[in-house]
Amino acid sequence: MASSDIFGAVEFLKREGETALRRFARAHRGTAYADMRFEAMFHRSASANDGDQRDSTETEAAAFGVSVHYEDRGGAIGHGQTGAEIGRLALNRTRLIAALNSALAEAYERARFSAREKVAMLKRHGAAAKSLTRAGAITPSTARDEVAATFRRDPCTLDPDELKRLCRDASASIAGLGTDIAFNAVAALSELRHELFINTAGALISQACSFSQGDCYVVAQTADGHQESYDTIGQQRGFECLAEGWRDELMPNPDLPTFAIELGRETRELAAAPALKPPAGEVVVVTNPHFNALVAHEIIGHPCEADRALKMEAAYAGRSWFLPSLEHNEIGRPVGSPLLWACSDPTLSGYGHYRYDHEGTAGRRVTHIEGGVFRGFLNSRATAAALGVEPNGSARASEAWHVPLIRMSNTFFMPGQSDPAQIIAEVDRGYYVCGHLIPSIAESRENFRISARRVYEIEHGRLGRLYRAGSVIADSKSFFSQIDAVGNDLRMVAIPNCGKGQPMQVKRMSNGGPTLRSRARMGGG
Amino acid sequence: MRTAVDLKRFVREATALLARERELAAFEVYCSTSEHRVARLNYTSDIPSRGVEEFKSLNADGFALRLVMRRDPHETGSASEAGDLSLEAVRAAIGRARATTVIDPHFPGLPVEPRKLPPSTERAPASDLMRAKDGPVAAAAWAMIGGAISAFESGAPLKLSHPGLVIGGDLSLIRDRIAIASSAFADIRSDESAHFVSSVTALVESLDAKGTATATGASLAEMSRAGARLGRDAVTRALKLRHGERPPAGRYRIVLGPQPVAEIINYMVLGSLTTGAFYSATSAYHGRFGAPVIDVRLSLTDDPLAHRGPVRRRVTCEGLPAGRTVMIRDGRLVGLLSNFYDSHRLLADEHRAEKMGPDASAAPTFPVRSGYRLGESAARRYDAHPGSTGTNVIMRTRGGVGERELIEAVGDGIYIGRIWYTYPINGQRAGDFTCTVSGDSYVIRNGKIAAPLAPNCFRVNATIEQVFAKPLAVGKRSETAVVWGAPEAYFVPALALEGIELAQVGAADSD
Repeated sequence: MASSDIFGAVEFLKREGETALRRFARAHRGTAYADMRFEAMFHRSASANDGDQRDSTETEAAAFGVSVHYEDRGGAIGHGQTGAEIGRLALNRTRLIAALNSALAEAYERARFSAREKVAMLKRHGAAAKSLTRAGAITPSTARDEVAATFRRDPCTLDPDELKRLCRDASASIAGLGTDIAFNAVAALSELRHELFINTAGALISQACSFSQGDCYVVAQTADGHQESYDTIGQQRGFECLAEGWRDELMPNPDLPTFAIELGRETRELAAAPALKPPAGEVVVVTNPHFNALVAHEIIGHPCEADRALKMEAAYAGRSWFLPSLEHNEIGRPVGSPLLWACSDPTLSGYGHYRYDHEGTAGRRVTHIEGGVFRGFLNSRATAAALGVEPNGSARASEAWHVPLIRMSNTFFMPGQSDPAQIIAEVDRGYYVCGHLIPSIAESRENFRISARRVYEIEHGRLGRLYRAGSVIADSKSFFSQIDAVGNDLRMVAIPNCGKGQPMQVKRMSNGGPTLRSRARMGGG
Repeated sequence: MRTAVDLKRFVREATALLARERELAAFEVYCSTSEHRVARLNYTSDIPSRGVEEFKSLNADGFALRLVMRRDPHETGSASEAGDLSLEAVRAAIGRARATTVIDPHFPGLPVEPRKLPPSTERAPASDLMRAKDGPVAAAAWAMIGGAISAFESGAPLKLSHPGLVIGGDLSLIRDRIAIASSAFADIRSDESAHFVSSVTALVESLDAKGTATATGASLAEMSRAGARLGRDAVTRALKLRHGERPPAGRYRIVLGPQPVAEIINYMVLGSLTTGAFYSATSAYHGRFGAPVIDVRLSLTDDPLAHRGPVRRRVTCEGLPAGRTVMIRDGRLVGLLSNFYDSHRLLADEHRAEKMGPDASAAPTFPVRSGYRLGESAARRYDAHPGSTGTNVIMRTRGGVGERELIEAVGDGIYIGRIWYTYPINGQRAGDFTCTVSGDSYVIRNGKIAAPLAPNCFRVNATIEQVFAKPLAVGKRSETAVVWGAPEAYFVPALALEGIELAQVGAADSD
């Protein structure tokens, strides 16, 4: 039973939310700033294992997150946040406003406590704690805008049986490849989200978006070996992108059944292929766009997150090799070959597209590397102030009840001029590495090992034997500095599961790149 | 959070409503309320910072229904709802569940036994963390910052204008409460749990030093003690580890401390010890159930009722009694974590004999004790499906030795105290893993700790066989270890190993 009722809560808050927030601020002395993020969602999904239906769901959800900055008489500022899932209670206007007020009050008390503790800490430790004093002024957003979702087939009115059938048929087709398919799982989802951002500075931004995603996991085993492969297709569109496929220059995808069977066939082929026994030392590696998506994600995107660079993630996800310190860093310095360009761009259509981040800042293209020279970070308003730059709209939360973190959008290596076939043809001996699997990276992303789905030997410019269990190992700067060819074949892929934060926020985005050629060590199995 | 009385009342009313639905052969109502309070730390001496970067909470209440249709025992539907514990919400959920039924030939029905829980399953006295308000959490977090700054002021070798002191981490308080009933159960089952986890990392970038301190527990007193010491301990440890050496790449004898052992178990082993992994032919121990899989001195158990375990579970999220699962006994694989669905699916699998292997019994059993519905914050969630998850994971040893003897057994090598980004690089079944040595590590010479190891200078490329099959020596104590993002708490020994490949991470690029 589909319903659009839950989105009525968004319309109500568009009319009443600012008043509620202003009333709260007036009634709570010292409130320097407050904001609320509200999100309503309709979600439909299905899954199948080995050709049998496994699961089907339809959910309406609503949640919010609030943030309060408190400033005491002495100028100390404290911050507090509260998030909650409210569900159908959002349809009851009285209860919704009461829940928001309760959360704001809780966040306010946390912020007040924080300010008090900061003052006490400064009294106790004096100059040793001087970095706790007020940072550069942060100007909040005042933007007002409305962004509609784009889809042809509305997730809310989708027939659940169609989604179930699509998954079951795709899974059955993989199972039908033969007895060397030990297991497969196919899942699909289609959802509509409507986000609202309101703050005490006058911002009111409503953004709706549709997501449709297909996931496929295949396990194959033969007498010679075993292979587990997985992949995802996804667009910010309706179900049409899964049922019919999606034509796009940067991020095309086949329909879900075709995608699934292709992965199934590849996994079978890999299970029968030998595991790579790599040579010692560096070799020439040509990496394809799908593999480079994970390189862009791990070695460009993550270390370009300003919160990471400013040590805020040191205990969890590490630091950034682009900024060892504010005094000694790579800004304006070469970090790769002159052929290397990379950027993030939420304005592009892709799985990481958006118009405004969750601080109400308009998203824009951020160039990270320009002709091999490092140029800048993704940031939030607070980190932009710390770095002395303009905010670039990169603070996003995976759900409204989480606190926004700095996240990638569509982050990719930019294309060059070379023909990918020529890039391979120029290699006397090396490896062609296709499709990413699993990453492992060093704490500041200065080193990585990323495993691939398919690895081919290259001999005298031609592809030779296929191997499984191969991976590329390199120090990041060395890998980037040795890039001597960049293809003209930019492609992006949907990344559905980037994890960051405490507690973990799992975010969707796009990453990609063209074919690249460099040097690295190879890992095997 | 909702009270246990509220949850039980809702479940009672919902089951009464469902019992009147004639087309249902069976049904289940699961209701949960959970809260995750987090004080996230960020203090940087040379960059403006907040100290406690965020003090936030995430609250989630809701319920889930599972329905079994009378017309087909394999036809099942499910739906969940956030926030609204009313009969109107139940009616809406019933409608959605009916509209989205699937016919799953592997669906074994809902659990029916035990129809009534034995009295011994009654809730233990609640942890005082269930009632804790913001104050103790915030106070403990700020105490960590203060303790770290004090330790640095008193212990730093030089007074630098830009010392590069970084304090990061968090204090998380996780609590949840559930109620569950079904058409088969004669009672309403409930459970609640509260524990805290904290990890504090101190970096002194001017000294190329890094140290970490962690704690987990189930009481306010333990949380308060953690607040008093973690910041101080992390900085003290970091200062002892300054200006570490960067040995060359090679094959080494090593001691793996408790954190690395826990991280390898979490990412490389535990997922293989489930019925789901054996069914999908992805277990690293495929074909070896009942056979020796690790060293005979080692045993691995999951225990939701462990006396010192911070994770306390008496009832699973399928309404079944939680219980201890011995997974590996004296090196032999003897048990698996399982939920109800996966247990039956593997038992009924026509390829089970091949997947389990020749040493498995012809009639194995997979007791269903580990079906938990967990979210990203490791608290129970109403809208999650039951997975197969650990609680307090304990590795015990026979013939274990003290830390001094472990280091002596290595002779010349590396003590690895912390690893990072540990993943099955060639898939779970292959058992290969890679990670980096991120801190808290030392060079061993002549059987003694000789010098600190620079953080982030080595990448480990190894297999779980190399770690667990034949250690040089095993530690005698199972120590607490925290793995970021894992719902389990770990109690594991240190292990001395040989022949582990350590590749160098570029010295010029490392911090």
